[in-house]
Amino acid sequence: MVDPHDRSDRFELIAACEAATLARFANDVLEDDPPLSVRQEPRPQLVMQQVREPVQRQPFNLGEVLVTPAEVELDGARGFAMLPGKAERGALSGAIVDAAVAGGHEETPTIVAGLEKVADRRRERRQTEWAESKHTAVEFESMEGQQ
Amino acid sequence: MGYVAVTAGEEIIERAEQLFEKQRLDEDEELAVGQIDGQLGRLTGQAMSEGGLYAPRLAALAVKQAQGDTVEAAFLLRAYRSTLERFDESTTVEPSEMIASRRVSPAFKDVPGGQILGATKDYTQRLLDFDLFDGDTTDPTADWDIDDEGEPEELTNVTELLREEGLLHAPEEATVDEPTDTTRESVTHPPARDAVLQELARGETGAVTALGYSALRGYGQVHPTLAEVRVGRLPVRIDHPYTGEAVTVTHTEVTESEAVVPVYEKRADPQFAFGYGLTFGRNERKAIGMTVLDASIQLDSEAEPAENPEFVLDTIDGMDSFGFIEHLKLPHYVTFQSILDRIRSIRERQRAGDESKVRADEQPAEPPTQGASDDD
Repeated sequence: MVDPHDRSDRFELIAACEAATLARFANDVLEDDPPLSVRQEPRPQLVMQQVREPVQRQPFNLGEVLVTPAEVELDGARGFAMLPGKAERGALSGAIVDAAVAGGHEETPTIVAGLEKVADRRRERRQTEWAESKHTAVEFESMEGQQ
Repeated sequence: MGYVAVTAGEEIIERAEQLFEKQRLDEDEELAVGQIDGQLGRLTGQAMSEGGLYAPRLAALAVKQAQGDTVEAAFLLRAYRSTLERFDESTTVEPSEMIASRRVSPAFKDVPGGQILGATKDYTQRLLDFDLFDGDTTDPTADWDIDDEGEPEELTNVTELLREEGLLHAPEEATVDEPTDTTRESVTHPPARDAVLQELARGETGAVTALGYSALRGYGQVHPTLAEVRVGRLPVRIDHPYTGEAVTVTHTEVTESEAVVPVYEKRADPQFAFGYGLTFGRNERKAIGMTVLDASIQLDSEAEPAENPEFVLDTIDGMDSFGFIEHLKLPHYVTFQSILDRIRSIRERQRAGDESKVRADEQPAEPPTQGASDDD
């Protein structure tokens, strides 16, 4: 079960969340003008994806993935987020959201509910995609002896 | 090779660029980046694969900017990535963690997990669909009665099944902690296997396909049976800076191919050799071509092009070949003038030689000189 109060789970949910939703949460958090410092400006960066090939089981570099990380300190609580792609606004909003939940901001229940919805949608999408794929499962039959 | 700076007027160059941009416009609405991302996924996948950068939305932008030229789009992506810092390497992911949307095994009919065709037109006729002229947004799967299949299953790699039967050698202890990164280190020969895989993974699709095909057409010893072809999503994980736990940032859509190659005639213990292919995007042609080349390169022979790692890796990269081939259309005035001068000079010398020979033939023959050579 994914728990938005858990820092690692929250990271994944923020990464999967729409940038506009994160911006809305962040705006709500910043409405009372809490002390905020940006520890890491949101800038697109690269993560090299390493894969272990399955035969010799040696790792190799498949290619780089574009991500945008950001880190903030909000009212004494640190927050870190990383969004896929070039997403400066979303990453900064995500870091603020992360810090807000870590620091127990009053918006936390709303944010947690929103992130739980993200988890639900992600799970539903995966299940739908899997079910659609399984709907195309086929059994090939050999035709030895048939003319 | 000679180079010379030329001037042609900045304004004229801008006009040429404006004329290029005009070609993107027509009476229909402008093609949105989102449409390219959503509807031309094969194209953006190819650009990401050859650019070595997974960024679907920027790949769609690059395809739009390049007006559909995938190598140009890949070039734009590589140029962009060269301006960025590296955050880190991901934690190493196992291909078995792939959330597969398609998996077929040409080798094993009853493969565990089943044959899942997924989204494909492999088994239909290649005929033009004239209905698409009018467009149709009806979802053809809308009336499917889909069973709840629960959470996606991890599908066991076929190589694992072969290994369980002892038909594939057990891997040696992992000797590579940090794989070679060919975006940062030049490839040296003989190349390490991890470097080969990285270079093939970002090779140009046509080149990978053509060289792989050459092996099948008799210019090589590898004619594999595909153990499986899979399309799906692989997690990209980093270590969270606060918790230290591996966390998923996103998933990359990839195509994977594994092949077995019988080598029983060459070994005391009859087993299979193998080839492996993995690339960004939905690109089965390239993944299979990569698999053939991986298996061929392991033979490390200079007898056939596909088996020669230096030949393959020197010709497979789209940026290299694109750059070298297309640079030929740029001004080469000094080079060409030099060639012209040389040819004129040779012709001049030949003409002078012919004339002196004619004059010599007209003279009475002199007795041959002792020790004279024809090699002058």
